[in-house]
Amino acid sequence: MLKEATSLILKHTVVSRKHLTPELALRLITPDCPLWRATEEQTPFKDPFWAFYWPGGQATARFILDNGNLVKNRNILDVGCGCGAGSIAAAKMKAKRVLANDIDKFAVIATEINAKLNDITVETSTTNLIGDRCIEFDTILIGDMFYDEEFANLLFEWLHTLSADGKTVLIGDPGRHGLTARRRRSMSLLAKYRLPTHSTMENNGFTHSTVWRLNT
Amino acid sequence: MSRVLVGVKRVIDYAVKVRVKPDKTGVVTDGVKHSMNPFDEIAVEEAVKMKEKKIASEVIAVSCGPAQAQETLRTALAMGADRAIHVEVAGPAYDTLQPLHVAKILAKLSQDEKVDIVIVGKQAIDDDSNQTAQMTAALLDWPQATFASKVEKSGDGLTVTREIDGGLEVIKTKLPAVVSADLRLNEPRYATLPNIMKAKKKPLKKVTPKDLGVDIAPRIKVVSVEDPPVRQAGAVVPDVDALVAKLKEGGHI
Repeated sequence: MLKEATSLILKHTVVSRKHLTPELALRLITPDCPLWRATEEQTPFKDPFWAFYWPGGQATARFILDNGNLVKNRNILDVGCGCGAGSIAAAKMKAKRVLANDIDKFAVIATEINAKLNDITVETSTTNLIGDRCIEFDTILIGDMFYDEEFANLLFEWLHTLSADGKTVLIGDPGRHGLTARRRRSMSLLAKYRLPTHSTMENNGFTHSTVWRLNT
Repeated sequence: MSRVLVGVKRVIDYAVKVRVKPDKTGVVTDGVKHSMNPFDEIAVEEAVKMKEKKIASEVIAVSCGPAQAQETLRTALAMGADRAIHVEVAGPAYDTLQPLHVAKILAKLSQDEKVDIVIVGKQAIDDDSNQTAQMTAALLDWPQATFASKVEKSGDGLTVTREIDGGLEVIKTKLPAVVSADLRLNEPRYATLPNIMKAKKKPLKKVTPKDLGVDIAPRIKVVSVEDPPVRQAGAVVPDVDALVAKLKEGGHI
């Protein structure tokens, strides 16, 4: 299964540096891949979210690479890791421990492939951690997970609990509808980035991405 | 920044050969490929461009029709609209849905959603009515900029270049306003896989004309739908002399 999934990922993606973190090489579906123009029915993967570098994830990874002190010697949990860029960035900046978590098994396989591509090793898991106390971690990365209203409700409540426990919660987001004005009021803006052309093509209507810290 | 409402209609795909029903009440739609009205694609593209240029804060796509209208709305969302409203009109009610009804629905939603700009395609390629933009503007008592080939923000209004007979006309409108998109306004983007995936999670609200207080009783009765007359086959003549002889024979010269 692992071997098949790996070869399927390798077959349908290419190595790309056309994003906010060009120092990271990532296997992604780009305009050079046939699947870029495919319909959902034509893809061998169900919702290959991990095959695209979401703008929120790009912003958190960029922010970590520019502000290594935020993750250095810390225990990082990357929830909804997707292609794994946030985890890889944290590991590169000398985090003590990094767990890349995503409920999609293809995402964690892609993360492992991408980690290797950048000479990094990260731990992975596919457990649904939403609601968990996450006692082993002090920093939580959320890269672009406010795209679904219902899920955003669950997520935000959980993140508040984690933040109340003293954990640092970093949220990357390009302005998805789940990150409402009311929610943004309980967060502090850390950085704003203009998205490269390549990323705007994957996110029609969005031009920037931001990083926020949840207030304690 | 403005809020933009875009109207999108699901129509028989432009590449399909349309067939008239044997009873002449309409055309065959069952099992026929449908897609977004091409002029509406241009309208969506323009609205999304406005969002990318920070002229618009939010783009709301609206479609009136049966359940399948949601597919058209998902396409609009994949092109970059932020959320969608499906005004459900199905069965016989949809068969007799007319531009006046759609205009009333768009006008009501424009007020409810507090939008500043309504953009629709100049006409739908199925019924070719070319009425919705004009009627919507009239119902709202807003200025209208129809057949737009260029839309620019200027001051607190819009400067719109219109395609008119024999040339172009440039007009200025205040906001709120209604714009209808002509062919040369822009080139709509293609909805790619990453955008299609993300569009599935964008909010889509369902309402009925009744919820909006719009009466959709038909005002126009379709008497008969006919195929265009079949052209008679021509003949190939070997040279100019033969052509002249034929034309003389036929009494044309």
